[in-house]
Amino acid sequence: MWIALVITHGLLAFLLLGAVTHQVVSVLVPARAGATHFVARFRAVGSANYANAIIVLYLITAALGAYIYTNYRISARLILEQGHYWKSFGAFEIKEHLIAIGLAILPAYWYFWRQPLDETDAVTRKLLTVLIAFIVWWAFLAGHIANNIRGLGT
Amino acid sequence: MKSSSVKSQGIRTSRRFGVFAVTFAAVYAVVYYIVLVNNWPLFSYGPAVGEWTLFNHGASDGPTMYWYGWIATSAIVAAVIGALVSLLPERMSRRLWSGLAWLVPLGAIAAIFHLLGGYFTH
Repeated sequence: MWIALVITHGLLAFLLLGAVTHQVVSVLVPARAGATHFVARFRAVGSANYANAIIVLYLITAALGAYIYTNYRISARLILEQGHYWKSFGAFEIKEHLIAIGLAILPAYWYFWRQPLDETDAVTRKLLTVLIAFIVWWAFLAGHIANNIRGLGT
Repeated sequence: MKSSSVKSQGIRTSRRFGVFAVTFAAVYAVVYYIVLVNNWPLFSYGPAVGEWTLFNHGASDGPTMYWYGWIATSAIVAAVIGALVSLLPERMSRRLWSGLAWLVPLGAIAAIFHLLGGYFTH
């Protein structure tokens, strides 16, 4: 069961990563009018449309991760410690704190992305998005690396 | 008349939520860091034995997890302070800078990196 949960957690994290990356790119480097190539289309997504999906995906992924974390604590973590994988271990420790702080940012993130967008809040909206993108990227990579060290079902 | 009153009530509620959300994000980040450094969880969990205990108590067997308890402590403190600040008169809460919602969490994240930096120089 734990393997199925870890894979589901990874897939949800991947969806979240895609959504938040689309949004942060479109916020930081919005597409110029008339551009038609792939990168321009990537940048041209309606960033406001992603906010609710990002919040829902963040909450579901974090909740599932919090559940799986109990198993990590009594199995995979010991392997990281015994193998002296301190950088990966530290990255995972930081991940748990970043996720916890990210949870508290979500109400403000939702508030500043609600429609119609208030232009006076554009900088706050942009920086909240960058912060959430950083948290999601860190969490994804740290989780992925830790999982690669431990392996599935070993 | 009624519709404009409903609309202004909606704007007030929305503004109050904004004040709550900014305060919650900022207070939570600070409290989380303090709670982490001092290990003040609201409850603890022993995953090997499925044991929940109030506050900071080691599990009877195996490791103890405090992460859920740190989140709970921080969320409760931040929710109470956020609710109080959102009830302040508009002329006072209007001074609250929305940038605190990202700046304070960013500071807490930097502090956490500093705190756990030893893992990367091991």
